[in-house]
Amino acid sequence: MATDLPSLMQNVVAPLVKIVLLIGGLMTAAAYFVLLERWMAAWVQDRRGPNRVGIPLTRIKLLGLGQPLADGIKFITKEEYTPAHVDKPIYILAPIVILAAALAIFAVIPFGSVLPPIPGIPGLDKEPIPLLVAPGLDPSLVFVFALSSIAVFPVILGGWASNNKYSFLGGLRSSAQLIAYEIPLGLGILGVALVSGSIRLDKVIVDQAASGVWNAFLQPLGLLVFVVAAFAEAARLPFDLPEAEQELIGGYHTEYAGLKLLLFLVAEFLHMITAAFLIVILFFGGWHLWGLTGFSEESISWAQALLRIAVLSAKVFLVILFFMMVRWSWPRFRFDQLMALAWKVLLPLGLVNLVVVAVMVEYGGTLKSQFGGGVYWIFAISGWLALIAAWVVAALVSPSHDDNTPRRAAQKFDTEAEFYRTF
Amino acid sequence: MTLDALVRNPLTWGTLLFAVGIWLLLPRGATRGWWLGLVITLVSLGLFASRMPALGDWASTGTFGFLAAVTVIAAVMTITLKNPVYCAIWFALSLLGTAGLFMLQGSQFLGVATIVVYAGAILVTFLFVLMLANPEGHASYDRLSWEAPLSAITGAFMVGVLTFALVGVFNPPDAFDTKFSTVEIDRTGEILAGEHMAHLGGQLFSRHLVAVELAGTLLLVAMVGCVAIVAEAKSRRGQPASRKRQRPKSASREPQRPELRAGEALR
Amino acid sequence: MQPNDPQVKWIEEPKLGLAGKMYLPLFVQGLAVTTRHLFSPKVTVSFPEQRPQIGNPLIYRGVHRLNKDEQGRVKCVACFLCATACPAHCIDIIGVESPWPDREKYPQSFSIDELRCIFCGMCEEACPVDAIELTSLFDLTGRSREEMIFDKEKLLSVYDQTKDAEPMKSTACGGTVT
Repeated sequence: MATDLPSLMQNVVAPLVKIVLLIGGLMTAAAYFVLLERWMAAWVQDRRGPNRVGIPLTRIKLLGLGQPLADGIKFITKEEYTPAHVDKPIYILAPIVILAAALAIFAVIPFGSVLPPIPGIPGLDKEPIPLLVAPGLDPSLVFVFALSSIAVFPVILGGWASNNKYSFLGGLRSSAQLIAYEIPLGLGILGVALVSGSIRLDKVIVDQAASGVWNAFLQPLGLLVFVVAAFAEAARLPFDLPEAEQELIGGYHTEYAGLKLLLFLVAEFLHMITAAFLIVILFFGGWHLWGLTGFSEESISWAQALLRIAVLSAKVFLVILFFMMVRWSWPRFRFDQLMALAWKVLLPLGLVNLVVVAVMVEYGGTLKSQFGGGVYWIFAISGWLALIAAWVVAALVSPSHDDNTPRRAAQKFDTEAEFYRTF
Repeated sequence: MTLDALVRNPLTWGTLLFAVGIWLLLPRGATRGWWLGLVITLVSLGLFASRMPALGDWASTGTFGFLAAVTVIAAVMTITLKNPVYCAIWFALSLLGTAGLFMLQGSQFLGVATIVVYAGAILVTFLFVLMLANPEGHASYDRLSWEAPLSAITGAFMVGVLTFALVGVFNPPDAFDTKFSTVEIDRTGEILAGEHMAHLGGQLFSRHLVAVELAGTLLLVAMVGCVAIVAEAKSRRGQPASRKRQRPKSASREPQRPELRAGEALR
Repeated sequence: MQPNDPQVKWIEEPKLGLAGKMYLPLFVQGLAVTTRHLFSPKVTVSFPEQRPQIGNPLIYRGVHRLNKDEQGRVKCVACFLCATACPAHCIDIIGVESPWPDREKYPQSFSIDELRCIFCGMCEEACPVDAIELTSLFDLTGRSREEMIFDKEKLLSVYDQTKDAEPMKSTACGGTVT
């Protein structure tokens, strides 16, 4: 590591500034998304929602925009009760790890395109500054996967350490669900990786911006698989089995209170924001919008750079609005339906998408030389045909109703061994 | 290499002390000597660390030392603790340290893939089994190490041999240095360059194609085996057991279901 | 209970068609319902600034009042029927000899513990002279438990406060509702 000023600025100061901006922005965003979530919940249920808390110590209400502050103060000043029956080290470790993992994912998620070089600051005056904390990490999508698989640990361990049946059930459900849905999630990503030839998120955006055709148009099947799997990974309704209030009290964080509960809840919102970012970046062109943002990363004006950040944020916001609408639109899946959806529906659909995309990529070059830009129409039509066909086939082979009668008659067994023999 | 050189080498003593320390730390039933074992293990790790070569500047050395310490200490904790769940957590930390070491060497994909595969998938499955199979953790066979002396000696022997080979006790130091540096240069040019993933994929599917395909076949065979075992278990379940009554397929249509006669079993 | 119990009625799940198996009706219905409600008028009100509209105040069961007759005397005859009917035992009456010729007794003290009251309206039903009634006042607050035990003066003042908006129900007993 060189220690001269320009490289120090480039390698130490700039990333630190980005980290501070990102964490500050994410925490604020998470707080306000909680408010938005409560608003949406209220509006969908014909209520008005939180609209009281404004500027503290005044009577100014500001539509309730001060609510996140009040919520935060409430959580922090609440009694941090630790039940006597918990396994203390793991109980305390779990919320810390889940928040750390949820934040660390954003090291590789671009929150904009690039900033133009800033003259006068050594080290930053030559090249554009990427709006990405770790721009050098090539397998950045795998990194996202790695950290989201780390996020399974705190959930299962927090549930186990709470020493409570409901927490434990929530933890087990969550781990099974997250592991199962990582596979369709990966299959959804693979299609994008094939088209872009890279699994760097910023490269994926640049690739879509350069062609002007978002991946959502070319591989809608991949989008479907990815979105459903992302909902499950973020444990949002209709896949919020880990913390199904009606069944499990609070799920894996039943025994948590105060600041530790806050860490769990913030991490959950960060997972949702991560999922929204990934959906936008992989399938909806990231910061790209036709006619507005351009596609070059080399020469860029300040206005354009800011516009790109705005476009990306707006898209992410829309996706999160969709997340929140979905929460109230559809009932929760049963656990066996959840698993069946992952393994029997999404996995084959993802494979079909992969095959379709692989064929596109293989013959794309030859077709492009013949049809020019019209090749994207061919790709899009074949992608949509694949979606419809795969969906219809998946529906045709699924059973038309569930048999809800018990599988076995209730019997009385004299010994436990006799009971187990019947399995 | 003479016996004299071997005796004067701190690594020899490090290896021996490591074996003793780990043996004392392993859960053998008796708790005597645990603190002594801790001290001896730490001394042996210090002896290993004393021969650690400096890597460039202080930042790299510090990062490497930190990651290595985390990895090794977590590994020691993994094998010496009694509660299986804690063992799994320390194992996860050890894997994170390993991933960090990979990253430090520039092999980003390997580091990230270690976390995905081991920490993310395999270890979570371990935890699943541990928690479901024996939630209390009271079984004595889970809490004791079976062949404490033998495993301590084997482990220390492997650690010793690897360290000797890496530090170059068996080879003259200068020859080792040149060899190592040439290897490093080759790899940086091929795989660790800018398009890391693309290069790695290219290498895997050209030079190492046979190995990749063999590994894939192995996994496929394992999966087919799993399916076969499950299918056999299912077919066995299908045969009526002595006191078990199958629900006939048509039963769900009929409200009465006289053929079920579960009440009889209750009597 | 056994699965083959004759009282258990097993119901087949309705069979889904192709569209149903594709989740399409569910998808559309769910989003349509939530989107419609998102923009539909809200049923809740911003309470302290805006009072909720109570459908029929005459049958609402809020804070009690003690009615007065035309001469401004308390109508209660201290018969204890309301205190007997009260399931929460929140009514406490001390009846003494009446100074007026038209009745034998009248309440010297009449207190209702509003914190114990369950607002069931039994007292209103039991009263033979329609002296006790429930009003439509619902935002009942206080700073202490003592404050929430309403005595005769307070209950009579509730009548003065609400008599215009909510006239007495029965005309036979001097009520003004026709």
